[in-house]
Amino acid sequence: MISRRRFGQLSGFAAGTAILPLPIRAATVPDVTLDIAPYTLEASPSQHFRTVAYNGQIPGPLLRMRQGQEQSIEIRNSSKDPEVVHWHGLFLPSDVDGAMEEGTPMIAPGTQMRMSFRPDPPGFRWFHTHTFAGKDLTKAQYGSLHGFLLIEPRDDPGGYDREVFLALHDWGGHFEGGGDGSMNPVYDVSTINGKMLGFGEPIRVKQGEHVMMHVLNSSPTEIHWVALAGHSFQVVALDGNAVARPQTLAMLRLAPAERVSAVVEMNNPGAWILGDVRKHIQSAGMGAVIEYAGAAGKPIWTQPESLNWSYREFAATEEPGPAADEAARIELVFDAKFEGHGSEEQWRINGKSYPHTDEPKLNAGQRYRLVMKNMSMDDHPIHLHRHTFEIRMVDGSPEMRGPRKDVVLVPAKTTAEVEFVADNPGRTLFHCHQQDHMDRGFMMVFQYAE
Amino acid sequence: MLTARIASAQGNYEIQVYGADTVPPKSLMIELHSNYTVTGQPKVIDGVYPTNHQEHETLELTQGINDWAEVGFYVFTSEQDGHGVQWVGDHIRPRVRAPDRWHLPVGLSLSTEIGYQRAEYSTDTWTWEIRPIIDKTAGRWYLAFNPALERTLHGPDVNQGLGFSPAVKVSYDFTAKISGGFEYYADYGRLGAFDALRQQQQQIFAVTDLNVSPKWEINFGVGLGPTAATDHLIVKGILGRRFDWGKKSAVE
Repeated sequence: MISRRRFGQLSGFAAGTAILPLPIRAATVPDVTLDIAPYTLEASPSQHFRTVAYNGQIPGPLLRMRQGQEQSIEIRNSSKDPEVVHWHGLFLPSDVDGAMEEGTPMIAPGTQMRMSFRPDPPGFRWFHTHTFAGKDLTKAQYGSLHGFLLIEPRDDPGGYDREVFLALHDWGGHFEGGGDGSMNPVYDVSTINGKMLGFGEPIRVKQGEHVMMHVLNSSPTEIHWVALAGHSFQVVALDGNAVARPQTLAMLRLAPAERVSAVVEMNNPGAWILGDVRKHIQSAGMGAVIEYAGAAGKPIWTQPESLNWSYREFAATEEPGPAADEAARIELVFDAKFEGHGSEEQWRINGKSYPHTDEPKLNAGQRYRLVMKNMSMDDHPIHLHRHTFEIRMVDGSPEMRGPRKDVVLVPAKTTAEVEFVADNPGRTLFHCHQQDHMDRGFMMVFQYAE
Repeated sequence: MLTARIASAQGNYEIQVYGADTVPPKSLMIELHSNYTVTGQPKVIDGVYPTNHQEHETLELTQGINDWAEVGFYVFTSEQDGHGVQWVGDHIRPRVRAPDRWHLPVGLSLSTEIGYQRAEYSTDTWTWEIRPIIDKTAGRWYLAFNPALERTLHGPDVNQGLGFSPAVKVSYDFTAKISGGFEYYADYGRLGAFDALRQQQQQIFAVTDLNVSPKWEINFGVGLGPTAATDHLIVKGILGRRFDWGKKSAVE
């Protein structure tokens, strides 16, 4: 059987060999340069992690691009492993989207490549590595190759005074040694923007400001729940796409790869903690201090007692959606093949693991409904590359015109249904965004009919 | 574990190879160990009742203290024709394990057990045991090793020093819910001066574990004792249920 890693090496390098060196284009200065190189993260004075980062910082550089305006990007791989950069949430051609399974060439160690694209759609996107980690829980998404990408729309409605970008991440992942502990990674440290609570610079705000918080969960495997003590979030966008009904909420839930954009009105002077709601995660470091100008004293945390979040709250209430029979149904059953209590399961879509999964053919212009039945005991954050879908049903809910997203969390033993229009021809990857799940076969590729 | 040296005079009350995990805090594990000696010692020796056809019911209560410590408490009973149901003794067993943050490649814990048993069931009435526990799950295989050391605190063997009583378990996951394998229990005698083979305790059990739920423990086995000092045929079962108590919050 060909493993995902081996498959990637074969297909990626085969394509990349012809495409990688582009000395002619190198004569011009790129709009963006990403240098992938080893880096040591200091999450706190006592917590250091040897990792690989973009441009020597964690998260990587904040990239701002104009919708539809061509960008040239140079990526230099100064690490010891092949790399690829996925532009998460953009409608890009398969050869630059950033997944070797779609045909994007890998960047060999010590080499560089150029690419260019016109970014679309507008909104809060991100970029990250899209490689294999297996049992090395320092590689791929377990490391620090992730960064914010904001595609600025031609017309920005504004409504805020300033922006803050926050990345939630977990570090020091390991499988437990004995008993049944090998099923899922566990982590030693959790951070916001690479720092444990109390060790990063406070986020300084002024009373009366409206701060747009762009929150990204870049964790390899963990769902996070975030609250800001003394304040509430007005959620205006999910995965970078404006929601039909903005909601004012006490907390946010973000599955791996999900983003939330929320406006916070700074109306409660003091020093406050923004952090994961669950005590053991905040104790592991996931928090940051929000400090008003002139505030003094110890930052305050108010402990919520429950976890509350539903995609349904953001659904449109009046627009009747397209009739269900307008969309061609694609039934997808997620389950796992038991490999022993000391192994992770082999994940399957319709009974097959990547690279042996089916490759359904899409007809350009057709609307499709993905009916995702999660038979497993795990929740799965499902990501569709190169397209945006609309959530139509989750966990037995009535039909809805839910938020437009590129990641949806499908809880264990539930069914979720999403719809999208096949409007971006090319190989399109579909997978669980949990690194350990995708490494173990939870991926498939949609093709477009000729 | 009331076996080994005590077992040399009496039967088996808790027949189990320990895994390294401990019971989580705010949880109580209740286990019933049911062991029946099909073929055992038929005679009264030194005033100790025969083991043959004895039915042992042992209640084990284990409370999680934190994420690396627990304490267990045992009530041993015996039922036999002519003697009825009898209380045999009680033990207490604190246990600690290596915290997850140590990132050990194996599960590691240390158990110690002290307790009393009536002279009619063991000539050694007070005993102490220290039991290192090492386990490892690799794919479908599970391996646990308990190199236990035991000492008599009151009784004829008080001057015998430390006895060595290893136990080993090897099992294989046939499915997610059914595992099967072997458990080996022994008492080699005094450390540094092992008994002759025929005087040693040697038992091997064919066992199955049913992993129906994280809250339940179900184990069943049939064991053979080939040496003269061992009960020759024993059937054992363990039924356990974990109860979580206290207010559980999603944010905990």
